[in-house]
Amino acid sequence: MGTENPGHPNFTTRPATAPFAAPPQNMMPFSSSGPMVGQEASGFRPPPHVTQQTPFSSSGPVVGAAASNFGPTPPVAPQTNVPFSSTGSAVGAQASHFRPTPPGRFHDPSVPPPPTSSVPPSVGPLSRFPTPQYLSAAQAPPTRGPPVGQMPYQPPPGQAPFQRPQQQIPSVPMGPPPQSFNSVPPSVNALQSPSDSSFPASLPNSQTSFPGFPRKQSSADSQAPPAQSPFLTHQGNYAAAPPAVSSPFAAHQGGYAPPPQGAAPLGMQSRDHMQHHGSGPPVGAVQALTDDFSSLSIGSVPGSIEPGLDPKALPRPLAGDVEPKALAQMYPMNCNPRFLRFTTGAIPSSQSLSSRWHLPLGAVVCPLAEPPDGEEVPIVNFGSAGIIRCRRCRTYVNPYVTFTDAGRKWLPGDYFAHLDATGRRIDLDQRPELTWGSVEFVAPTEYMVRPPMPPLYFFLIDVSLSAVRSGMIEVVAQTIRSCLDELPGFPRTQIGFATFDSTIHFYNLKSSLTQPQMMVVSDLDDVFVPLPDDLLVNLSESRSVVETFLDSLPSMFQDNVNVESAFGPALKASLMLMSNLGGKLLIFQNTLPSLGVGRLKLRGDDLRVYGSDKEHSLRLPEDPFYKQMAAEFTKFQIGVDVYAFSDKYTDIAALGTLAKYTGGQVYYYPNFLSTIHGDKLRHELARDLTRETAWEAVMRIRCGKGVRFTSYHGNFMLRSTDLLALPAVDCDKAFAMQLSLEETLLTIQTVYFQVALLYTASCGERRIRVHTAAVPVVTDLAEMYRQADTGAIVTLLSRLAIEKTLSHKLEDARNSLQLRIVKALKEFRNLYAVQHRLGGKMIYSESLKFLPLYGLALCKSAPLRGGYADMSLDERCAAGHTMMTLPVKKLLKLLYPSLIRLDEYLLNASSEADDVKIIENRLPLLAESLDFRGLYLFDDGFRHVLWFGRVLPPDIAKNLLGPDFAAELSKVTLCERDNQMSKKLMRILKKFRESDPSHYQLCYLVRQGEQPREGHLILANLVEEQMGGSNGYVDWIIQVHRQVQQNPTFIKQTRCLICRVVEHYLPGKKEEVIEHYFEFSHGSTPCCRVEDVEERVATMHRFLDDSVRHHRRTE
Amino acid sequence: MAWELIYWLICFCVDLALFASSLYQYVMLTDLEADYLNPYELSNRINQLVVPEFIVHIVFCSFFLLAQRWFMFLITVPLTCYIAMLFVKQQHLIDVTEVFRVLNTEKKCRLVKLGFYFSLLAVIIIRIAISGILIPTAGSEELDIRASFLEF
Repeated sequence: MGTENPGHPNFTTRPATAPFAAPPQNMMPFSSSGPMVGQEASGFRPPPHVTQQTPFSSSGPVVGAAASNFGPTPPVAPQTNVPFSSTGSAVGAQASHFRPTPPGRFHDPSVPPPPTSSVPPSVGPLSRFPTPQYLSAAQAPPTRGPPVGQMPYQPPPGQAPFQRPQQQIPSVPMGPPPQSFNSVPPSVNALQSPSDSSFPASLPNSQTSFPGFPRKQSSADSQAPPAQSPFLTHQGNYAAAPPAVSSPFAAHQGGYAPPPQGAAPLGMQSRDHMQHHGSGPPVGAVQALTDDFSSLSIGSVPGSIEPGLDPKALPRPLAGDVEPKALAQMYPMNCNPRFLRFTTGAIPSSQSLSSRWHLPLGAVVCPLAEPPDGEEVPIVNFGSAGIIRCRRCRTYVNPYVTFTDAGRKWLPGDYFAHLDATGRRIDLDQRPELTWGSVEFVAPTEYMVRPPMPPLYFFLIDVSLSAVRSGMIEVVAQTIRSCLDELPGFPRTQIGFATFDSTIHFYNLKSSLTQPQMMVVSDLDDVFVPLPDDLLVNLSESRSVVETFLDSLPSMFQDNVNVESAFGPALKASLMLMSNLGGKLLIFQNTLPSLGVGRLKLRGDDLRVYGSDKEHSLRLPEDPFYKQMAAEFTKFQIGVDVYAFSDKYTDIAALGTLAKYTGGQVYYYPNFLSTIHGDKLRHELARDLTRETAWEAVMRIRCGKGVRFTSYHGNFMLRSTDLLALPAVDCDKAFAMQLSLEETLLTIQTVYFQVALLYTASCGERRIRVHTAAVPVVTDLAEMYRQADTGAIVTLLSRLAIEKTLSHKLEDARNSLQLRIVKALKEFRNLYAVQHRLGGKMIYSESLKFLPLYGLALCKSAPLRGGYADMSLDERCAAGHTMMTLPVKKLLKLLYPSLIRLDEYLLNASSEADDVKIIENRLPLLAESLDFRGLYLFDDGFRHVLWFGRVLPPDIAKNLLGPDFAAELSKVTLCERDNQMSKKLMRILKKFRESDPSHYQLCYLVRQGEQPREGHLILANLVEEQMGGSNGYVDWIIQVHRQVQQNPTFIKQTRCLICRVVEHYLPGKKEEVIEHYFEFSHGSTPCCRVEDVEERVATMHRFLDDSVRHHRRTE
Repeated sequence: MAWELIYWLICFCVDLALFASSLYQYVMLTDLEADYLNPYELSNRINQLVVPEFIVHIVFCSFFLLAQRWFMFLITVPLTCYIAMLFVKQQHLIDVTEVFRVLNTEKKCRLVKLGFYFSLLAVIIIRIAISGILIPTAGSEELDIRASFLEF
């Protein structure tokens, strides 16, 4: 449609076109058909470009209709117009494109194809245009041989416009070069150079593209409208025809041919063509238009970024995580995305399609996610009837069940219900399992292997010297005592304690005693439990003894000078104690285990290991004891939470294994001091003890035929190929899984997924929590990209990357992550092919616009960051263990923390309502966001950092910090003071903490320029900044973009070239770096001449990057 | 020579044992995949067998070496090296927690071993047959020995 208008102005100048001025009227009906895709159409009107385009806007609707499936299309349309204005010949080709597009569009079953009736009118106008254009082209530019050559193929100009049904005919002549059809990029190239100078040159290109053509067609959905077939046949006929002269044209058409795949690609291609054509005088105008266009399109559909573009224009997830809505709209009875999210809301229909989706294909499940207040998961009790499941596939009854034969097939008799006039069951309102995506069934005895266990907490506390010194014991004892009332499962809750240093101490808490009795076991080689029972007691019966014990615990060991730790034997003893019931084991560990089995060595102080192939072994437990223990714990339904406090190396890699295979969690408080970190420990331990926990759980995710879950990532143990054993699980744990297609071709329209978590609730009831979701099957890669869910993808990618660090170098993990992102973008780019020479544009799907940034953030996250010097081994492992369990939202917040300016808010007298506003006012994580006159809050979900600008008005600091505001901030603690400002700050901090209760955000204060604290607290976490050997956001985007444009084999090489130097920038390898640097700069680039090498080493990677860029440019 | 026959018969038994062990482990792994067995039991059963199997294989291999059967020795040496490598790296046992991740490679590994022992078995049977046939045609001394065997 758009073609008309642009064409129109052109034609007016030419006599031949004059007759065609009429078409606009025809257009009218067309526009009426457009409304189907109203929004896009509006998007289309980038009239700003050219006034002539007004007609274009009318055409917009047509394209828009097609675009409904293909988000990116809009940009295409405007560009296509442009070419028109520049060269008439181009118009014809484009018109032919447009026609086919609408049919190709509607591969997606979910979107009903537009009424066929609407097509003909649209075609009509289009077809006319092409013809006129041909005429014009032939007439106007005498220089162009090709159009003339084509003339014979064309029907007489006069007829073509008026014959609507025959639209194809015009296209046919264009089509002759079927070869060009398939592969857009090659055709583009061909166009570029040849169109201007030599036609023959283009010929080979078009031929190369030829093979692709059949492939595309075959891949096109079988559902594609019949309209395509004529097109094909035409091409086949004409294929032989094109003489060398016409070849350029052929190439053009080829580019256009792809439409069967989708309108969007067409648009892109057409844009390319346009530019090529315009290579003469109009180039400038075209360029301007495309630029306009890109800037317009940013943030809308396919974004485009010029390298070196304003960093402010880059997409940033300042609104936090956005759950995808499309799937929920399509299947309103799906469970809430907080429970189950898919990496893409569209399952590929064939293995070949899924192999082109380079991102992980899978789901992230958080089965017990906390629903907002007032929204509970309904509990259904079928009573004696038993739980209703499909006999064949074992799924539980869910909203997507269809009742055939009055439900007699697999339903018990009393589940029968009559249907009302609309075909709904009349009892639908009373049956939440038929209307809700998430339900809980009360499980009968068939689902139990033993009576439901009571909630059981066993505490294993380190009481060695360093534990006493840090004050950890006191905080722990106080917190447990304060939580006794809130432990879930009253009155069945069981509790027990043991402490250890070089010996193991048990406590008899029998209810008849007044004082707890301590029993010491010092035989570490053959550990035994001194009392058969009474070490684990019922809390409600022994309450007073337990309280006495907790009160006296800190004082009991305050003079302990024992520095040994018999951790392994203590673990064994706990296992023996708990093996009857299962439950939760909380380990408070402070000293590196040094006695008995499971002794750990000091590792990680050998610098030579870092960067070598053996580096990963440091992140794995050295002693198989811990894995074995973890397996045993899971076997006996014991979940382990590890609290580690040491100020020295404690081998979190080994300790974390205990949590990893038992569904637990690692809490790490390096350099714990009760005065500083006490609050954090208090809050997190209290949450651990009081949150709703599911005991002795198993989880399974079922899916429709043809699809299978192949790998699982998270903290659990696999009991069988698809059964996750989770001794204790709660709302803060999420599990990720990847799926693959079992069959080469899926014939179904929808795949259903069902997560079932069988667990014992704290109240002693056995329950099954079921989440059901339906996902459409698509035949179209573009649709997969459109439905992509960045949050789920990033979660899966991060887990895969962290797992990779356990068997490879950090660098490899980062590289493979980057490679994956690049591949995905490349595939997307191929989908919507783009010009090469002018290809400063970066194309990405709207749904994935944050993916590169999150990828960068992931590379800079604690588990993957830099090398040896950037992160201590323990912190790295602890962060890795934590990230393996985080739900999507929490992970995204950790990767891209929020940065908020507070001083203005504090100064202005404002009401509580403003609090909301300030929360939304996030800043990009750039150093330039930090104004030296400001006060900023940095919040990554695990800690708060208050950053005081150097020139922050002193009264603010004084109000907030009290009299010692000028002191070094590491020694100052933030507490509420008696003034408005301080109260306001505390209020807002509290609000932030309440919004994310799973961890306590301890507030750190730092002043600008206070090194090294500032660097480590804030600067290292500004993910968009360049630091150490890593890229800044802009550089990263450029790098990714460059790789996207390169052919695949080259990606690795360039990466290595840059990396080799950057990654070598380890403390001990300076000389090597310099050597590399010389090597590199010597051979290639004049722009980074070295005067003072020593000095430049620090900023080397920056230079390298520049030099590489420079190098490219000069090429 | 009768000794030869006896020698090959012993080899046959040893090889049969190794073959059976591999087969058993393979069946266990498929059982695990089909959920007839839990990973704890599987690792228990297989891990019990691994070291004895290694020892038997090494004995088997050295048996050929001592008898100076170079061809057979060379055939069995690569597997011996592989086993030794696994043992040194402490990767010979099945890790309960990660069974499912390595299930396919373990299965493949067992299958290859099965094939290996099976082909050895074939070779050994041929050898037995040859030495069995050779006996009657051999010199009278051997016949006498056999006769004495038969007599008593």
